[in-house]
Amino acid sequence: MDGVISLLRRAAQGAGAVLLLALLGAAAVFFAMRAGHGDPALAVLGDQATTEAIEAFRQRWKLNDPLLLQFWRWLAGALTGDFGASMVIATGEPIIRLIASRLPNTLFIGVYALTLAVLISLIAGTISALRHGKLIDSTSTSLAVLGISMPDFWLSYVLIYALALGLGIFPSYGFTAPSTSLTGALYSGFLPALAIAAPMAAAFTRILRTALLETLFRDHVRVARSLGHSETFIFLHHVFRNGLIPYVTVIGLQVRYLLGGTVVVERIFGINGLGSLMVDAAFARDYPLVQACALVFLVCVLLVNFGIDLVCARLDPRRA
Amino acid sequence: MKLDLATALSNKLALIGGCITAFVALAVIFGPWLSPYSPTEPDFLALLAPPSLSHPLGTDSFGRDVLTRILYGARISFAVSITGVLVAAILGVTIGMMSAWRGGLWSSLAMRFCDLLFSFPSFVLALFMMVVLGYGIMNIAIAISLIYMPIFARLSRNMALLVKDEPYVQAAVLIGQPTSSILLREILPNIAAPVFVQVALGVAFGIVIEAGLSFLGLGVQPPNPSLGTIMADGREYFQRAPWVLTLTGMVVSVALLGLNLLSDGLRDVMDPKLRARL
Repeated sequence: MDGVISLLRRAAQGAGAVLLLALLGAAAVFFAMRAGHGDPALAVLGDQATTEAIEAFRQRWKLNDPLLLQFWRWLAGALTGDFGASMVIATGEPIIRLIASRLPNTLFIGVYALTLAVLISLIAGTISALRHGKLIDSTSTSLAVLGISMPDFWLSYVLIYALALGLGIFPSYGFTAPSTSLTGALYSGFLPALAIAAPMAAAFTRILRTALLETLFRDHVRVARSLGHSETFIFLHHVFRNGLIPYVTVIGLQVRYLLGGTVVVERIFGINGLGSLMVDAAFARDYPLVQACALVFLVCVLLVNFGIDLVCARLDPRRA
Repeated sequence: MKLDLATALSNKLALIGGCITAFVALAVIFGPWLSPYSPTEPDFLALLAPPSLSHPLGTDSFGRDVLTRILYGARISFAVSITGVLVAAILGVTIGMMSAWRGGLWSSLAMRFCDLLFSFPSFVLALFMMVVLGYGIMNIAIAISLIYMPIFARLSRNMALLVKDEPYVQAAVLIGQPTSSILLREILPNIAAPVFVQVALGVAFGIVIEAGLSFLGLGVQPPNPSLGTIMADGREYFQRAPWVLTLTGMVVSVALLGLNLLSDGLRDVMDPKLRARL
């Protein structure tokens, strides 16, 4: 009972922190954009625009209002899911509709990559720890260092070269949305997800191996062994569970790299995701769209970390 | 926590990583002078030549020697990354130490700001900063420093909290050393080793960010070579001449491998407990 209450309290605190950071983030994104060098009027009308045209544009988009009022209007809209309209890419199209059509693809690729990374690292990390010092351990440890050293966008092309152009197993470009066909999405999303997952898997494997090794030599494990429990039982109940705590924590820390990785990889594989939308918006200088994408990405990371925090509290009662 | 050259070199990983890093650094510093080719002058007699003795990594669509372009480009990439990470380290460590030492309104505000930066997906923050600041080499360095500052702030805050109650720090307080001197002379040297490891990791990471931005066309602008722009060029004729993109990426990976091994080794040296037990 106590556990549940403290978990709930932690959840409430965490939710408050998420909200606060999201608000701060919204303010930071908004004011940074306004302080930046870009002028949306010039971005839309071109550098040759007349002063009258610029003035009319500023009137239309209410850019002459006091900054705080503009911020308030934008924030109030954002809270209800209204980010305004895209200025350049799809003029007049509500940004929320653009994001709603793109976000599922990005989340799909992100979850797919995370699943692959977790699967690979759980197997490799556990084997490495149990066979530490053996050949299989040094192989997996060396592979992990290599994995961390490969930029994801380069790995994408290596995978395309080997598995798509070379062996022809996977498509080199294009993505079937999960809403159209789940198997199609799993198939066409495999290479991009793997390109993002490989460096993650490497990082996760290393932390799991270290965490398991550290626990293997703890006193409570020795006691369990002296009580005559089987090695499998000891590993599952005493070693693995403790080893999971730093492992899950590192997953939380890597989420920002994982979502960051989707940006370039989506672009390479032609996935219509939030990342490629943000790149297009950046090229087109569609400022409100860039602003909204950045905020949505921020909220994604905050929410995932919130969830991870709760999992950690569940795994480690000392923290709750 | 002390780190000296002799113990660092006694670690195999650190030694190998250090050698690779030193080799890459020497190649980047002196390589461009040794190369007979120009990084930007086209040579229309050698378009997309595959790797050969005269062009070890082949040529690109303008007939420019890829190795030469990598050596010049790596200069820019390393300069951008090192600048960004050093700025991040200086700001982050200052914030972290101040917040561990005194707390106070400004340092806790600064820590919250770091938390906020830390919650943006790394590459999204970089992309956003390029839109806010405009494309350019200096702005990539700023983006890298914003991405990496929270990591230094958190690391040095945690380390400083551990060190701050040590007797020698208390003694320094008692004999009335000014705060600045306590932070710089007593605390900083004792948290410097993990910060240094993080710098090595950070430089590797910064190179990836620079390469990614330039690869998309939002970073270093052509015809200036950078590791990212060379790979972006290579992407355009990837099917006809895959070596430009793949070999450039391989060179980047080797450089990153060196930095990663170096920081791994140094971390092992600093945490000998785990080593000894294995």
